[in-house]
Amino acid sequence: MAGAEVLVKGLVKKYGNLTAVNEISFAVQKGEVFGLLGPNGAGKTTTLECLEAIRKPDNGQMRIAGYDPHTDVRDIRKKLGVQLQSSSLPDSMRTDEAMALVCAWHGRGMRLDLLIRFGLEASLKKQYHTLSTGQRRRLHLALALAHDPEVIILDEPTAGLDVQGRAQLHDAIRELKTSGVTVLLATHDMAEAEALCDRLAILIQGKIAVIGTPAQVTATGSSDTRILIRTLNGILLPGYDIGSARFIRESEGYGEWVSSDAAASLTEILRKVQLAGDVVEDLRVQRPSLEERFLELIKGGC
Amino acid sequence: MKAFVKYLLVQFKMDVREKGTLLTYYIIPLVFYLVMGAVFSSINPATKETLAASMTIFAITMGAVLGLPGPIVKIREAGVLRAYRVNGIPNGAVLLVQGVSAFLHLLLVSIMIFLSAPLLFSAGLPGNYGAYFIVLLVFIFTSIALGLIIGVIANGQGIATMLSQAVFLPSLLLSGIMFPASMLPGFLRSVGAVFPATQAMHSFTGIAFNVSHGCDGNLALIIMALIGTIVLCIAIWRFAAIGSDA
Repeated sequence: MAGAEVLVKGLVKKYGNLTAVNEISFAVQKGEVFGLLGPNGAGKTTTLECLEAIRKPDNGQMRIAGYDPHTDVRDIRKKLGVQLQSSSLPDSMRTDEAMALVCAWHGRGMRLDLLIRFGLEASLKKQYHTLSTGQRRRLHLALALAHDPEVIILDEPTAGLDVQGRAQLHDAIRELKTSGVTVLLATHDMAEAEALCDRLAILIQGKIAVIGTPAQVTATGSSDTRILIRTLNGILLPGYDIGSARFIRESEGYGEWVSSDAAASLTEILRKVQLAGDVVEDLRVQRPSLEERFLELIKGGC
Repeated sequence: MKAFVKYLLVQFKMDVREKGTLLTYYIIPLVFYLVMGAVFSSINPATKETLAASMTIFAITMGAVLGLPGPIVKIREAGVLRAYRVNGIPNGAVLLVQGVSAFLHLLLVSIMIFLSAPLLFSAGLPGNYGAYFIVLLVFIFTSIALGLIIGVIANGQGIATMLSQAVFLPSLLLSGIMFPASMLPGFLRSVGAVFPATQAMHSFTGIAFNVSHGCDGNLALIIMALIGTIVLCIAIWRFAAIGSDA
């Protein structure tokens, strides 16, 4: 954990009798995109709000770029950019005014470049209440980057966005990573986490259930590979177990098997098709996804 | 300081764009002033003497007590305060800018009334201009402090409206701006004394217009300033607490 850009050690946050975050620890290296995943109420936002100094933790240590968010408030504001899950600006504040205001408080000149970068150049004079959800999200992200922070926290940045808006934000996050910014990303979207995160942690009931790269996290669950095959004459249907491959179901002409030894099972299945004189029309081999692992963890309660 | 001035300018412009703010700071008080000024000066010519003061008290009370709390509640509830905070704008600056911006609007509307009342209604001019403006500034300060504390402590717009009305209506009826406070029963006169509007009326009449109503204008000014200072301190303390773990 030494030299980490973001360090969380034994973090505990309680709301009355409810322990929202229970002894969680993780470290994020410089330039890394680190994801926090979990169902609603898992403690993602509380963890991030403790890092943002919006909430005071009951126990634990935190460091961002070497500073304690709760005691080194001024230094932290220079190093950290934050896009909150739910926040707003005054209805009548214009886009350019918002940027000018935030820049002034950071002691910087106007960052028109950021508004252009996030596609807001046509909305400079628009008041906040007239902006779309996507425009608001992009504005908040641009504001969070106004002082060129070393670390940025994004709490569900793509929630409520359309496909195009989501893609734009993904590109922006990749750009941040390229420029060496450390990103902490809380999201419900598994595909987003898989596509963007170098490493991630899945939180369940305030605890880290699993942490690692998306591939590592996926691999910690069931290692069964799914094999789907459709043949011209349907020789494999109705389905049955073939070698180590366990038949699961038949759907729309496809037979579906799962196997812990995909190569051997696939060879065996194809041999059966060949021996029967049938022809493979479609063949799909699917590794377990992060989403499946996530659901598996939630089902198991951790 | 540069950042604060920038914020103040942006806030002032936003206030002008907000219909609700325009209505409570300018339009309704000025329309009321024009209508009531005409009515008062024709029904009871004696009211002309202190018309500028009484209409100014109405305008300031309305703007500060009815107009200021709503936006502060909205800032707290809609997540604006959180957004400002994570972007480096401290809570204290937010409260201060709201107050200073309101101060400027209310000063503007007060000057409009002060300058136009003698022309439109042959209203009397103060005998002591310095005292008039000292009372005016202290009254704006105290009224804004009241507006701020309502905005800071109210849990929701409904509660804010209720608290605002609980201050505004007695201020209007018991302070002597609508009719002489001497016509009120003793009990209501005592109740009215806790409202800054009443103290402002005493101060204006006593030390600015030199019209004696049996009240000490200087004492009223001190009471008003004390109310404002205490209320403002409580508002700042409560507002700072909002950000401690919210």
